[in-house]
Amino acid sequence: MGNWLVTACVSLLLVAGLAGAAPAQTLNVYTAWPESLSQPIFRAYTAKTGVPINFIRLSTGELVARATAEKNNPRADVIWGAPGDGFAAAKEAGIIEPYRPPTWDRIPAELKDREAYFTAVAKNTLVFMSNAKLLKEKGLKPPTSWNDLLDPAYKGQIQTADARTSGTALTRILSIYYAFGKDEDKAFDYQKKLHQNVQVYTKSGGGCTIPAALGQALVCIAHMPDAMEAKKKGYDMVVTFPKEGVAAVIEAVALVKGAKNRDLATKFIDWTFSKDMQDLLDKNQVYMLPALPGATIEPGVQSLMKEARLLPVDLDWVGKNRKRLVERWVNEVIKE
Amino acid sequence: VRRDPVIAPAVVLIWGAVALFVLYPLGRLLLLTFWNGGPSLDAVRGLLGDWTHRAALVNSLLLAALVGIAGTVLGFAFALLAVRANLPRWFGRALDAVVLLPLISPPFTAAIALIFALGPRGLISYHVFGLTRVNIYGLWGTLLSETLTYFPIAYLTLKAVLANVDANLEDSAFSLGARRWRVFRTVTLPLTTPGVANAFLLVSAASLADFATPLILGGTRFPVLPTQAFLQITGLYDMRGGAALCFLLLVPALAVFAGQRWFTERRGGSFVTVTGKVGAATRVKSLSPAAVLGLAVVCGLVVALVLVCYLLIFAASIVRGLGADNSLSLAHYGHVFSGGLKAVRDTLLIAVICMPVGGLFAVVLGFLVSRTEFPGRRALEFAAMMNYALPGTIVGIAYLVAFNDPPLALTGTAFILVVCYVFRYSLAGTRATSAVLAQIDPSIEEASASLGARRDVTFRRVVLPLIRPALLAGMTVLFIRAMTAISATIFLVSLSWSLVTVRILEGITNLELGQASAFSMLVILLVYLAVAVASLAMRRLNAGSLGQAGTLLGG
Repeated sequence: MGNWLVTACVSLLLVAGLAGAAPAQTLNVYTAWPESLSQPIFRAYTAKTGVPINFIRLSTGELVARATAEKNNPRADVIWGAPGDGFAAAKEAGIIEPYRPPTWDRIPAELKDREAYFTAVAKNTLVFMSNAKLLKEKGLKPPTSWNDLLDPAYKGQIQTADARTSGTALTRILSIYYAFGKDEDKAFDYQKKLHQNVQVYTKSGGGCTIPAALGQALVCIAHMPDAMEAKKKGYDMVVTFPKEGVAAVIEAVALVKGAKNRDLATKFIDWTFSKDMQDLLDKNQVYMLPALPGATIEPGVQSLMKEARLLPVDLDWVGKNRKRLVERWVNEVIKE
Repeated sequence: VRRDPVIAPAVVLIWGAVALFVLYPLGRLLLLTFWNGGPSLDAVRGLLGDWTHRAALVNSLLLAALVGIAGTVLGFAFALLAVRANLPRWFGRALDAVVLLPLISPPFTAAIALIFALGPRGLISYHVFGLTRVNIYGLWGTLLSETLTYFPIAYLTLKAVLANVDANLEDSAFSLGARRWRVFRTVTLPLTTPGVANAFLLVSAASLADFATPLILGGTRFPVLPTQAFLQITGLYDMRGGAALCFLLLVPALAVFAGQRWFTERRGGSFVTVTGKVGAATRVKSLSPAAVLGLAVVCGLVVALVLVCYLLIFAASIVRGLGADNSLSLAHYGHVFSGGLKAVRDTLLIAVICMPVGGLFAVVLGFLVSRTEFPGRRALEFAAMMNYALPGTIVGIAYLVAFNDPPLALTGTAFILVVCYVFRYSLAGTRATSAVLAQIDPSIEEASASLGARRDVTFRRVVLPLIRPALLAGMTVLFIRAMTAISATIFLVSLSWSLVTVRILEGITNLELGQASAFSMLVILLVYLAVAVASLAMRRLNAGSLGQAGTLLGG
């Protein structure tokens, strides 16, 4: 069993290897946004500039883990559209580098990293989405306060995300923290009570949307785009906000350190923060608030957002305390 | 002692490949975990102080044991029904086809389907039985889902074992006046004990490594190690801690694996009942009509549950939005064949490349370890199965760490996916080769050699034709795994190469249930097709028991 075997193996592997080579002059992007939201925007850029965009959708954690493992030989040029906390971790891991697009100065300070490691493309909101049919069945009004969710009627009826995997969950923890006047102990006391009504913590932020839509759970605490997507699909969902307010978290963009296509990457980032692209958020019904002041916001979204009390978030504080908050959640809230 | 100039290069080649694609990545991961400027255990020290990790260790072992027991009992019931109940042949085929479903369907599908069927508003739990306080999340849901997914392994293993227990042995016991229960207890059961133990360990191993089911159904109340490792890496951005958790899992995983090997090898020795001269049993009578009825009811219920689950997935794939807009639509399939076509093409291409490469690797390895003598033979055998015994997450991360930098910058290519599958899923082919070779008298090869044929000619002209069934078996398993695996490859898919299973996961997390279901149906269909083709080819090769595709997956 001599040469024929070696030849066979080597040639097969070579074919596989060659087929894997990517075409040149393509922009490589990692994103945490669902394809339905990100792809139309990437397509618009390709249509405008002719630069093809290769992208993978990963959860925030997977994205950072991957980019960290690839640190010495980065595969992506831009991380585009992921929650701010992931970028705090990415900055710490040294996998992104500062970059200021021309419109950087116009972006409000609470929407960007002070050293320009990452900048928000949009503001995202947390919502309560309730299954309308189940509400009626139980004779409940849609929840409009964090405290409403403690009602025993909701026992085993709430689904929301696991703080260890999901940026959405961190938004929830922050929202509760700010809603309780930055009193961390009170905020955690509340979460322990909330835990009694939680059916399950899902691994992805939007993971509770389908169960709530199908009536497996009554309330899902998740981000606005997830809720609107469910409504678009025809599910009868009621979207409400807690009157105490929710943390306004950012969906950000960053340049990967040592990006192979740095030129293409910076041009794409520049475009991301142009009014052209910021208007697309509204046009494509992304249901996030554009970061650039002056970008179009549809009246429907505007009126919906009017009910939302957005509490500004101190990005530095979050960066420093994220890990501790998650650990406290694991050790106090879900421990039985 | 066989010494041959051709063996040496083959050994070197295989050792080289195993060292490069199994030992090297694991070594890199070990280094990452336990080397922090010097040997260091700080990554592990913190872990056992954390209650979730301690709970996860206990839960993993508990779950593996429970799934092992439940799966083996259920598998035994199915096997008895299939082999000992004198049911028509088509019934056995139908049973095999349904039972295979959970085993070959993409990960997540079974767990999601179970929520639809048995969740708080599930089709069975609520719409049929009107239960509203069902809790599917936690130990029981995970146990049920894993049992349904993995009992087929036990069934397929035990079916083969039971079929090999000569019914005439039972007959003799009957003619000596023993009653049915006594015959079962003193003849059938003892003869199948090694098979039962083997099935238990195989099912337990599958449960230990399973990551998808607890991710969906475990929740925070029932953490297990593979999901904890995943959370540690992707949620807490702690690669070292995650890797350390994987190494913690390594201990029970390898123990189970070693135990399983011990049983399979022992079986060959002292439990031989196939002797070539099997008198025809007129009619198997080891089961009373009442027992057959009881088994049929239990198995019927399980089959019904499996069918309901998959019909729900099918339903989700052909309506606009399950539960919201139940009008029929082919839109989801339209998406699969437009936007999703690249993933389908990539997956198929990779699976097809894996087949010959992995098949050859498996056969050559199987031949080397069972027919030749060379130093380090046992070590090679052990090293080659490492990637199979390890949970997918650890293999994926290890590959990512090891193959990202030049000179071995393989991430982002199809090559790394092919390599990952080949070194993870060739074990079935290797074992099939060893099994076939054990039945072939070495004197056939010696005859060829004494007629003056070189070793490679003998291999090509004598051995290879004889082990063709094993090659085919190995290739089929590789195809199935390449179509359905996710835990390792989720870290290895790239900007240029996407996989169907990853699209399914995406669909499930992104409210694209219809698309995920359509992708799942496509995968199931393709795998069934492959299994059918393989079985047909096996029958032509007269491969006997190897021909049942299930036996391949049974490990």
